[in-house]
Amino acid sequence: MAGHKIKLQSSDGDTFDVEVEIAKQSATIKTMLEDLGMDEEEDVIPLPNVNSAILKKVIQWATHHKDDPPPPEDDENREKNTNDISSWDQDFLKVDQGTLFELILAANYLDIKGLLDVTCKTVANMIKGKTPEEIRRTFNIKNDFTPQEEEQIKKENEWCEEK
Amino acid sequence: MISSVKSFSYHQNIIQSNKCFTQKMSHMERSLNLNDVWIKVSEGIEHIYKIQEMSAAAYMDLYSQVYNYCTNTQSHGYATKPTIKSTPKQGGNNRQNNIHDGANIVGGELYNKLKNYLKTYLEKICEKGLDLQGESVLRFYTTNWEHYRFSSKVTNGFCHYLNRHWVRREFDSGRRDVYEIFTMAMEIWQLVFFQPLNRQVTLACLQLIKSERQNEVINTRLISGVIESYVELGFSENASVSASNHPITSPTLAIYKEFFEMPFLQDTEQFYRLEAATFLVHNSVTEYLKKVAQRLDEEVHRVQSYLHSSTLAALIKKVEEVLIRDQLEAIYTEAKSLLHDEKHSDLALLFKLVSRVPNATVELKKIVEDHIRQMGIDAIERVSGSALNDPKLYVETILEIHTKFFKLVQEAFSSEQGFTAALDKACGKFINNNAVTTAAGNTTKSPELLARYCDTLLRKGSKAVEETDLEEKFNQIMVVFNYVEDKDVFQKFYGKMLAKRLVGQLSASDDYEESMISKLKQACGFEYTSKLQRMFQDIGVSKNLIDQYRTYCEKNRLDDIVDFSVMVLSSNSWPFSAPPNFVLPAELKRTFESFTKFYTQQHNGRKLTWLHQHSKGDIQTLYTKPKYILHVSTYQMVVLLLFNKFSRWTVERMQDETQIKVDLFLQVLCGLLKSKLITCSEINDDELEEDLKETDVKMNYNIQLADDFKSKKIKINLNVPLKSVEQKDIEGLHRTIDEDRKMVIQAAIVRTMKARQTLKHALLMQEVIQQLSSRFKPKIPVIKKCIDILIEKEYLERQSNEKDVLRYLA
Repeated sequence: MAGHKIKLQSSDGDTFDVEVEIAKQSATIKTMLEDLGMDEEEDVIPLPNVNSAILKKVIQWATHHKDDPPPPEDDENREKNTNDISSWDQDFLKVDQGTLFELILAANYLDIKGLLDVTCKTVANMIKGKTPEEIRRTFNIKNDFTPQEEEQIKKENEWCEEK
Repeated sequence: MISSVKSFSYHQNIIQSNKCFTQKMSHMERSLNLNDVWIKVSEGIEHIYKIQEMSAAAYMDLYSQVYNYCTNTQSHGYATKPTIKSTPKQGGNNRQNNIHDGANIVGGELYNKLKNYLKTYLEKICEKGLDLQGESVLRFYTTNWEHYRFSSKVTNGFCHYLNRHWVRREFDSGRRDVYEIFTMAMEIWQLVFFQPLNRQVTLACLQLIKSERQNEVINTRLISGVIESYVELGFSENASVSASNHPITSPTLAIYKEFFEMPFLQDTEQFYRLEAATFLVHNSVTEYLKKVAQRLDEEVHRVQSYLHSSTLAALIKKVEEVLIRDQLEAIYTEAKSLLHDEKHSDLALLFKLVSRVPNATVELKKIVEDHIRQMGIDAIERVSGSALNDPKLYVETILEIHTKFFKLVQEAFSSEQGFTAALDKACGKFINNNAVTTAAGNTTKSPELLARYCDTLLRKGSKAVEETDLEEKFNQIMVVFNYVEDKDVFQKFYGKMLAKRLVGQLSASDDYEESMISKLKQACGFEYTSKLQRMFQDIGVSKNLIDQYRTYCEKNRLDDIVDFSVMVLSSNSWPFSAPPNFVLPAELKRTFESFTKFYTQQHNGRKLTWLHQHSKGDIQTLYTKPKYILHVSTYQMVVLLLFNKFSRWTVERMQDETQIKVDLFLQVLCGLLKSKLITCSEINDDELEEDLKETDVKMNYNIQLADDFKSKKIKINLNVPLKSVEQKDIEGLHRTIDEDRKMVIQAAIVRTMKARQTLKHALLMQEVIQQLSSRFKPKIPVIKKCIDILIEKEYLERQSNEKDVLRYLA
């Protein structure tokens, strides 16, 4: 089976040849292959929710991580932190915000847990330690609270502010 | 062909919708209306449930539909407010509810629509099967099951996003009536298909199995399909009670157990109960057992080929109960007759089957034990007349039984521990208690006869020729020996006879003697054989001593003494006692004194006691022609030497001169009269020929040497053991055994008490019996008596406050 390839097609019509084992990091693709029992190489798998640029990035990421052990199951009790991003992943995710969000969407759509984790952690790191105003600036979010509402929320959250 | 055509057209359709979808995407106005989504999804499902081929594109489109539908509200929570207005009221409300919950993940309506779809779909199919029976209902059920299961799997796949988010979220927030799509599909199946049909389906399975048990060929695939379905339904049962994050967890098999296994086991019981009853009417139990073995194999095979493996244990147990446990009485009876007929292979089968039932071999062991014991008792009974005085016959009879049943235990019961124990118990019983021991009036007859058998083998001129044979015989003796309870009695007799062999130089070979002693040592320990070993050593030491004495004689020019050899035996080890004194004739006296002098010089402080009763010598008749050499005992020699003084004596004077005790003297005299070396004028030849008794010889009779003595042989052996002496010996031994045992018991008591200081009476008894079990079985009254003796001797005392506690007095 090693080296056996399948064709993935982006929303804008480009096809990519990908090793099955790499593609299977996407739980979505893996389930589909199992359900349909596909093995003819000709069959193209269209991915209508992912465009060519993003699919390319996703394949790049999956190729790099093809020998990783399967990510651990989520567990309520497991301590989570955002400092364990590998340097390769850090370099890989030095992209503009738009691309980062599209990667998150693609990871969610394709159900690639490792990629989803690392992209979300990257966003979390962008939020960490910032004031609400800074966060708004970073993500270009319009403040739609009325001054009264804002005062109210500040009051409610006073207890967790650092003194 | 038809399906591929349909698939083609469907593909077209998808591509169209894809285009449409892409267009909408480009307009940034996705169609997220539930109805629109549902139209596409339901088309897909319909396709899937028809088991038509599906392309990757179609599958991915369905997945994307579900994904887009589920993610839309999530990512555009506020932005989609206009869309809500455009959707039908019902859906809108639901979505708003979701927002209210703070979990703005949609999916509930889609889930419900899927559920309703499957329900309606299945209900329609199920109707067609309601009136079916037998194989047709099975075919109907399994075919639909396989289709449905497969399709549900695919549906579950493209609804993966729904499972991952909405279902998971609902489940985590405490809802227990939602499942992953596949499990939900199983639930629907159970509700719509399984519930109305399971009675017919299970019944049809059971009928098929029954047919197979009656040797018909059946299509097992039909049953295994049903079983697979029942097992899988068990999975979904459990989903709702799972406490973990994952809705689907381990199988419970609840459905399988309740709706198939239970009725199946009941059916099995009924079937086999009937079969057992009818089969036994026409066939022997052995035939029946063969059938049972075959049935058990079949049932194992049945489970392996089309039932769930968890049923194996329960099924086999049920079959064993009905076919074996409930027929044990008949089987035990059969066991008895098989034992009687010596049918080992049939017994082996019987044993194999009976041992499947817990505790059932207990009775079987008892039967075997009783049988062996009875056979042993019968065998000895048959030979008891002659065996009482024929050790060889006795021991070989025992061995024959043992060998025979050892083989039985090996062949029929695979030497299983319990049956080896039964053999041992049975042998122990019949060896220590049988017609011979009853005739002898004591249980110590067995060890006595065994020891005497050893004696016959070890004596010079024994007929057990081959050396390897002899070694084998010793091993067999040890087999019997291990069963003998009174090992101390054996030790006594063996020692006695060994002493005689050694003193009389009657041993066939020192190697044999040593080999036998070492076997006894192995069985009973060093102490048991220490006396025997020392006896053996004394003989060796004596040989050296005689050599030394000869040199001593030469050196001191003591050439006028008779040719003489002696064995010096330590009095502790040998079962001999000093005879009453008598007057040693001058001819011998010098020699005795010379040796005594020599010995006391070497070993100062030792006392020599002469055991004349075990001594012997040769004398020559110088008054006859030819001169005869007489091989005589010391007593005979003393009497004959009298005639060197006078040629005529009265009996009284002879006794007076020799001082040999009267009864012994008369025995010796009788012997000599019978040999015609001497004659008595008062006794005629007829009397001599008949049966001369000691009492027939009166003190005033006259005795003279027979000058005209004639014999065909030049060497004449007159030294035959005196019968009465030997008889007395044996009686004496039995008497001393009881006395010796008391000493041994007392020693054991003192040993125990010294270690424990204080001990309850009952525990002491137990301990003593335990300690002595390797030698003999002490009788309880005797132990009590020994305790009393020791209290009297102030070794022990009774505790003043607790009467049943004993205390050791240092």
